[in-house]
Amino acid sequence: MGKNGNRPMILTEDLWKTYEMGSEKIHALHGVSFEIRQNEYVAIMGPSGSGKSTLMNVIGCLDTPSQGKYYINDRLVSELSDDELAYIRNKEIGFVFQTFNLLSRATALHNVELPLIYNGTPSVERLERAKASLVKVDLGDRMGHKPNELSGGQRQRVAIARALVNNPSIILADEPTGNLDTATGVEIMNLFERLWEQGNTIVLVTHEHDIAAHANRIIHLRDGRIERDEIVRQVEAQKPQPQTTEAAT
Amino acid sequence: MDFLEAVHISLDSLKANKLRSILTLIGIIIGVMTVIAVVSIINGLNTYVSTKIFNLGADVFILSKSPAVILNIDDWEEAQKRKDLREEDYQAVKEGCQHCQLVGAAVSAVGRVKYEQQSLTNVTISGWSAAMPQILDIDVVSGRELTPLDEEHKSHTCVIGNDLVENLFPGLDPIGREVRVDDLPYLVVGVAKKLGSTLGQSRDNFVMIPVTTFLKEYGSRRSIRIFAKAYGQAALEQAQDDVRLIMRARRHVPYAKKDDFAIETNQTFLAIWANISRAFFLVTIAIASISLIVGGVVIMNIMLVSVTERTREIGVRKAIGARRHDILLQFLIESSTLSLVGGLCGILIGVVIAKLVSLFTPLPAVIQAWSIAMGLLVSTSIGLFFGIYPATRAAKLDPIAALRFEL
Repeated sequence: MGKNGNRPMILTEDLWKTYEMGSEKIHALHGVSFEIRQNEYVAIMGPSGSGKSTLMNVIGCLDTPSQGKYYINDRLVSELSDDELAYIRNKEIGFVFQTFNLLSRATALHNVELPLIYNGTPSVERLERAKASLVKVDLGDRMGHKPNELSGGQRQRVAIARALVNNPSIILADEPTGNLDTATGVEIMNLFERLWEQGNTIVLVTHEHDIAAHANRIIHLRDGRIERDEIVRQVEAQKPQPQTTEAAT
Repeated sequence: MDFLEAVHISLDSLKANKLRSILTLIGIIIGVMTVIAVVSIINGLNTYVSTKIFNLGADVFILSKSPAVILNIDDWEEAQKRKDLREEDYQAVKEGCQHCQLVGAAVSAVGRVKYEQQSLTNVTISGWSAAMPQILDIDVVSGRELTPLDEEHKSHTCVIGNDLVENLFPGLDPIGREVRVDDLPYLVVGVAKKLGSTLGQSRDNFVMIPVTTFLKEYGSRRSIRIFAKAYGQAALEQAQDDVRLIMRARRHVPYAKKDDFAIETNQTFLAIWANISRAFFLVTIAIASISLIVGGVVIMNIMLVSVTERTREIGVRKAIGARRHDILLQFLIESSTLSLVGGLCGILIGVVIAKLVSLFTPLPAVIQAWSIAMGLLVSTSIGLFFGIYPATRAAKLDPIAALRFEL
């Protein structure tokens, strides 16, 4: 990955998101600009109503800003059509949700395969990559299980494997531990740590300080503006280029 | 989107909601089942009717007082007023019809036949002229046929059907024995070939006597039927024209008036039957169509429920890269797979019904390949058509709203 080490992976310029409620205009995003480079581990924090969900939707290409520009790997994505956005989501974004959002009738393996189905990966390669992805999250022995046969932590790991399977530019996690007990939450955060060490770029949306503390950088949002953007953990230069991601590309 | 994947998903959701699926599909099942069963049975009936009921030879026609099938009351009243056909008419036709190879006369009644202590009622007593067995292809298997000489002498001789042999003469050779037909003695001279039964009615329950004897014993004030066999099928039209001309001349029917007698061929009977069976077929198709449309609406309803239930799933699929048409296709394949399964069940039940009918009734059921193909095609199209709206709704869902959706 990382086609351009010096250019930011994610670049936003003056993002606005405005909703009209009757005659009133509500600004969920109020001119947000930031950049995220490859292999950063960023937490976006803020109380509810701070605009962090809206920002996450925009970063995740589920939504487009009302104003401003958003680039992923130098590609302007803020003005794309629905289907083009779907393509970007498939290629560049790996979603991890609070509620896992797995298909309940499908096996873990099939759930992980799903993104590959939508980009037309041939079935043999699809199977290989889905398996590799599950092995990466230590679920190599649970591939044939359905979500209801797995624990919460395991389900979230399946979701993470699904997010990883297309080698996305960023992994976008929305309160990934919100539905887990503390011990399992720690386990999942350790997994993110490991993925980060392997060279992945992670964006975490949370309102919990303990969770945000795992990141290297925290962007605090309030009322649709960036209140503070702080480096909490100094990382000595860049981590060595990961073998795992290279192998999978 | 993988086609098989979508098929798989829909079969999965079918399995997950078995009762719901059956209830959903009942309209389609009944519709397709009706079509398959009715088409098979009508086809069987057609074959049956043409081989067993209207089985006159292709070169044979019948002259009679009124048509065999009358479909309205005016025709019936008109037919009642017609003159009877007499022996003289038979003689005139026999002499005058140039294109006729054979001409026979027939008249029948129902009566009782007795041999010693055994007796049979409801036996068809047929007064036949000597040419009749040949016109109708009824062979005598033992003894001899009735001859013109029997006819001339109004002799009390008879040829009997197989039922009479079995019931009156168990273990005996009936030839040369005397039976009593309606209390008059007749000498059995021959036994006819076994004909089997039609619609559960035996066709072997008859006794054949010379037509002249019949008219003498049963009274001549009844209309006879005149059977004629043309010189081959090519001459059938001309032979009918001959007969028509003779009859109109004899009765002085004016030029502009219609015949006051009926000439019918096997084709006439088959055409009447074809009309009846077509009407029956159309009514069934109409009823089945209603059932199929209702079935389609039910499928549309259940697909709408399914889209709502799976809003989050749709959100997830969109989040990980499904485009609109991926979702659209998924739900269309689902709805058509659903109704295809209904169609398959319908075909299966329809075939079973047709088989049961042919097993427990004398009607054969001929399962038509085209009706099965049509059942599959129609059921799939219904699923496709009624799936469009729910699938479009699913495809249009906003991914953010869909992901946040709570049931």
